[in-house]
Amino acid sequence: MIQVEHLTKYYGPIAAVRDISFQVGKGEIIGFLGPNGAGKSTTMRVLTGFTPASGGTASIDGFNVETAPIEVKRRVGYLPERVPLYDEMVVRSFLLYVARVKGIPRRSLRSEVDRVADACGLGDMRRRIIGNLSKGFRQRVGLAQALIGNPAVLILDEPTVGLDPRQIIEIRQLIKDLGSEHTIIISTHILPEVTMLCERVIIINQGRLVAEDSMANLTRGGASSAFLLEIDAPESEALAALRGARDVRRAWRTGPGEFIAEMADSDAGPELARHVVSKGLRLRRLQPRSRSLEDVFMEAVSVEVPGAVESGGEDAGDA
Amino acid sequence: MRNTWAVCRREFASYFQTPIGYVVVGVLALVTGLAFTISFTYYAKMSQAPSEYAMTGVPDFEETLLSPFLVFCGTLFMFLTPLITMRLLAEERNRGTMELLLTYPLRDREIIFGKYLAALGMLLVIMLLIGVDLLVLHRFVEVEPAVLWFGLLTVFLMGAAFISLGLFVSAMTRNQITAGTITFGVCLLLFILGTLGEDLPSGNPAPEGLAEGVRTVFGFVYGLFRGVVLELPMDAHAKNMALGIVEPVDIAYYVLVSVFFLFLTFRALESRKWRG
Repeated sequence: MIQVEHLTKYYGPIAAVRDISFQVGKGEIIGFLGPNGAGKSTTMRVLTGFTPASGGTASIDGFNVETAPIEVKRRVGYLPERVPLYDEMVVRSFLLYVARVKGIPRRSLRSEVDRVADACGLGDMRRRIIGNLSKGFRQRVGLAQALIGNPAVLILDEPTVGLDPRQIIEIRQLIKDLGSEHTIIISTHILPEVTMLCERVIIINQGRLVAEDSMANLTRGGASSAFLLEIDAPESEALAALRGARDVRRAWRTGPGEFIAEMADSDAGPELARHVVSKGLRLRRLQPRSRSLEDVFMEAVSVEVPGAVESGGEDAGDA
Repeated sequence: MRNTWAVCRREFASYFQTPIGYVVVGVLALVTGLAFTISFTYYAKMSQAPSEYAMTGVPDFEETLLSPFLVFCGTLFMFLTPLITMRLLAEERNRGTMELLLTYPLRDREIIFGKYLAALGMLLVIMLLIGVDLLVLHRFVEVEPAVLWFGLLTVFLMGAAFISLGLFVSAMTRNQITAGTITFGVCLLLFILGTLGEDLPSGNPAPEGLAEGVRTVFGFVYGLFRGVVLELPMDAHAKNMALGIVEPVDIAYYVLVSVFFLFLTFRALESRKWRG
């Protein structure tokens, strides 16, 4: 459905996105992760045809973003990060306008607007002036305009920012429901959200793609595995014992009497226990530790990208 | 076409969802109404006692009242069009709604013509107000239709040219105030140019002592400059037209100014593709 190949975007001399390639299949929900200024928004803006790419290609449903922009825009619903709206307009007339612009036939204008307004829980708010809405309802109006015309692809830039917890849950449920029919790309800072919604994750750091895999594969632990240990011993002694064990790559303390040992072999648990006990330490607990998305994220974004620092990839996405 | 209409409709409606539409219409109604009343009273006095105003007979109605009044209205647009056009594209950029506008399945021409038509719609509203003044007039005097219609056409074309200029400036800026000020400045410049042109001598002003070749070149360049200064001002082509004298050149002038700035607006909007 979505194909991105060697996408590069420069803002003047600053590279916001460098050589990113990925594909999204029909009906997938993709989580777009990365620290601020990593290039998430820029990538999304290229996909929607708002910003032209400096290099590489992006296509949606087989239509190139650059050469067939209208075809692409017909297939994409977009919620920009800051949710820009016409403040002076009434919600309903704004949505009618969007429906007209998106080419909804005159006969079904009203029903389409009612459909998206109901889906986004706008209720009576549709008679209000947009400028007077709360942040949460603005967000919903933004989402509603993206949904008009039932586009095959939804690109949502941080859809739950600024909402209260109840609204977040509602919007997430809405996105999840939409996921059965739509291809969705969501960018977010909230990692649990990705865990809840997305089947696949793309992590971007300093304009480069640093990780891309299904949720299951990413959190399975990859090549190494870690164990959580509770040891009744002074920190130095315990760490020395852990570091002395076979196959232990790294070991560190996470709390009083709590340590983590990262091993090359995930079956090495019993051996590790034997080693600790043989050093005369009291082992209270040993538990394989599965990686959370947070671990994966921190690992992926803390890797220094070669050549990224001198050109100042930070914040480039906001330019 | 449908998309152009949708953009136009939203834009036009938002003139009246914000104070700007009422301000422009109100100010114009007040000023034109006042100007009309004053010149009408003056004309009435003149026609009752022509000799007191050093006139031999009853002054020509079209020449002394109608066409100057229409030209005045056109000139007034110079002050008001910046208010109509300043937000057209600058505000979209400033509020970030440009991001929505440019990701909807709209072509550049649908966006630009939609906005241009919305501003022209405001112009029509204003002209309706002027029309009210002229209706009153109709009760008292038999107006020569050619003068009236060409006069109104002049006012409209003049306004359209100003709007096209303003749209272009708005496409180049992010801030409404900047857009408005620049538009007003350019309009004013074009206007003042007219006054300046009247003072330029028609011959070759190059000093006698210069070589013949240099003199010729200087004269040619000066001739071009003088021509531009005389022809460029917005009101230079209005006076004859408002008198009912149809010169294709005059109509072409306003149409060309509009087309020229619309063309520049297209280029300005397109520049997002290569400016990065």
